[in-house]
Amino acid sequence: MISVEGLSFRFQGSPQYALRDVNLEISPGEFVVITGPSGCGKSTLALAIGGYLFRQYDGEATGRVRVADMDVRECPIYDVAEVVGLVQQNPEAQFCTLTVQDEVAFGLENRRLPRDEIQDRMAWALSIVGAEHLADRLLATLSGGERQKVAIAAMMAAKPQVLIFDEPTSNLDPTATAEVFQVIEHIQAKAGITVLVIEHKVDYLLPFKPRLVAMERGRIVYDGPVTQARYPGPLPAQQHLPATIGGEPVIRAEDLHVGYNATPVLQGVSLEIGPGEFVAVMGDNGSGKTTFLQSLLGLLKPTQGRVEVLGQDTHHISVSRLARQVGFVFQNPDHQLFAESVWQEATFAPRNFGALDKAAQARVEALLARCGLGDRQHDHPYRLSYGEKRRLNLISVLAYAPRLILLDELLIGQDIENATFLLELLREQVEQGDTVIMVNHHPEVTCRYASRLIFFNDGQTIVDAPTEEGFQQLAALGKEVYLPSTRRRP
Amino acid sequence: MKPRITYQPGHSVLHHLHPLVKGAWMLFGTVLVFVVPDPWAVLAVLGLVLLAFRVAGLRLGQVRGTRLFATTALLLAALQILFVRQGPVVVQIGPLAPTIGGVKAGIYVAGRFLSVVFLSYLFVLTTDPNSLAYALMQAGLPYRYGFTLITALRLVPIFEQEGQIVYNAQLARGVQYDARSPRRFLTLARQFFLPLLVSALGKVDALAVSMEGRCFGKYSTRTFLRTVHFTRQDATAAILLLLVTVATAGALAVL
Repeated sequence: MISVEGLSFRFQGSPQYALRDVNLEISPGEFVVITGPSGCGKSTLALAIGGYLFRQYDGEATGRVRVADMDVRECPIYDVAEVVGLVQQNPEAQFCTLTVQDEVAFGLENRRLPRDEIQDRMAWALSIVGAEHLADRLLATLSGGERQKVAIAAMMAAKPQVLIFDEPTSNLDPTATAEVFQVIEHIQAKAGITVLVIEHKVDYLLPFKPRLVAMERGRIVYDGPVTQARYPGPLPAQQHLPATIGGEPVIRAEDLHVGYNATPVLQGVSLEIGPGEFVAVMGDNGSGKTTFLQSLLGLLKPTQGRVEVLGQDTHHISVSRLARQVGFVFQNPDHQLFAESVWQEATFAPRNFGALDKAAQARVEALLARCGLGDRQHDHPYRLSYGEKRRLNLISVLAYAPRLILLDELLIGQDIENATFLLELLREQVEQGDTVIMVNHHPEVTCRYASRLIFFNDGQTIVDAPTEEGFQQLAALGKEVYLPSTRRRP
Repeated sequence: MKPRITYQPGHSVLHHLHPLVKGAWMLFGTVLVFVVPDPWAVLAVLGLVLLAFRVAGLRLGQVRGTRLFATTALLLAALQILFVRQGPVVVQIGPLAPTIGGVKAGIYVAGRFLSVVFLSYLFVLTTDPNSLAYALMQAGLPYRYGFTLITALRLVPIFEQEGQIVYNAQLARGVQYDARSPRRFLTLARQFFLPLLVSALGKVDALAVSMEGRCFGKYSTRTFLRTVHFTRQDATAAILLLLVTVATAGALAVL
């Protein structure tokens, strides 16, 4: 079905090849998972198989790509699109319309199919992804998992022979992730199409016994079944950190209610968090995790109740004053790069706070060197790779040594190597007595690094306990997908 | 916080009116307030527009920006009343002596301004933008342009949300929005818009892949699942508009 022979590709202006002599043969009906560290060329390979790489991106290409006997480098994308569907990482970015029906019908309308056939295919596509009940909804009102199901249905409506998923769950919580992977498996089994999934979270796909293709630096370094040697699984469990160092609470929330406009999000959260705690905040998307973090920096004010951070009521202190002691890393690295060089970015906050003294400069230099950015201080931050940007985000917060560090899904799109590096940096901060509160969707990370687990459900904390006990409570609540993979029932 | 100036779903006659017929009525109202020679006629049009708000089940006080526009209209009227000196003085208040001509000019300017603004509000608040785009395409607008409108409608709230995130991220890193000098203003603007621009470029890439991957642009025409129906009520409204336009044109010619 798919034949890639000696494919190499270098993007215009890039000194390095994104793909190097890639050879890959995929038979009809195969289920293939392509994995590898960030920037290894996985997504570039997906774009090549779909033909987009040769039409929409400038660069230097050699080798051949054939799909269903079509030479993808020579055929128009429209012809390749009749055979290959590509579901991208962020459904939000790939939607072309405003409603579910319009979105699923979009490709069929463009192909000038008659209305009756569009209706039939739309009903079939929504049913195969289990989204018939969403047919009359506006896209903006869907949850992340529902959006991804609609994006898949929109591709399936065209009845492709090959469906490529480019990290389809990177923005999803574990519940939605499990649902989307079940949909993918269902499609593959029912429709018998060839499925390629580009994914870091290989453990979710193991039950489907896929063929594993591992890439590194643009090359395929493994192609075969999933084995323990090839895929050792997620981070191993490790001794948890001490629960607390002791001292005055860093955070004290009492009956905290927070909302947007008239919509309540947090509803009566009460807790205390002390110095030296590494707190993992988990829960489904929309459960109030990000709202909780934002309320701790005073970005959102309580509508009822109160929250004190480092002894100061967030209702009565400005964000800029609180921010001197509270660091916040937001979800998307690109939303928080403001300066024109890596050095200026790393020193941006201390400069704004008037705290860029010699000690701060030395701290930044040491952090940059440790994060492999020491020789890139003059580069523009947007020239860094995704993983490097994330490191820079964290450095720019650690630069002014805040006592409380808030992290909103720091690990999205990070491979294990990058994630471990960032987490080790944070562990050191905690050992020095700083407090870290990290929203994340990775039970293994929580298990290994967090001393305490807080789980949000509909704006309330339904679990708040030392990590091990927290997982036991989650298991009792039936939140199986939030448990480390070794503890999930098969 | 008051709701954004965006479509408010409802079941009124105005909500159900075909977007293009409604647009034609709005255009007629806008032209009318500029061609009628009598200020009281302008006020009558404004009154009808406000009546239409009631018919649509909307309350102006609940719409963001109403107070700003009302204040602006009052200021415009006050300026005309104070500085236009035509005809006899209406009343002497200390040094102020507003004239009949000034009062009329004030009513003209404020009435026209509010009529145009509120007509636009009425159209935006009662028209599903998606239906408008599909109605335009089915009326002959090339579908590439129609989808430009839909894409803009889809991305505006996303960029609004991202703008808020960037602003919050800047506050968290100690950015002070204090434009003390043009240079500082430019720096703040660059720091704010650069992340949004980078994000927009990424979205354009993803959208291009998504659209081409679904054969957008393969043919010069396309079919439509969604049909914006032209009902008997729409036909009645269109004929009524035609009659009113002819009658108004005749009346204006006589005057």
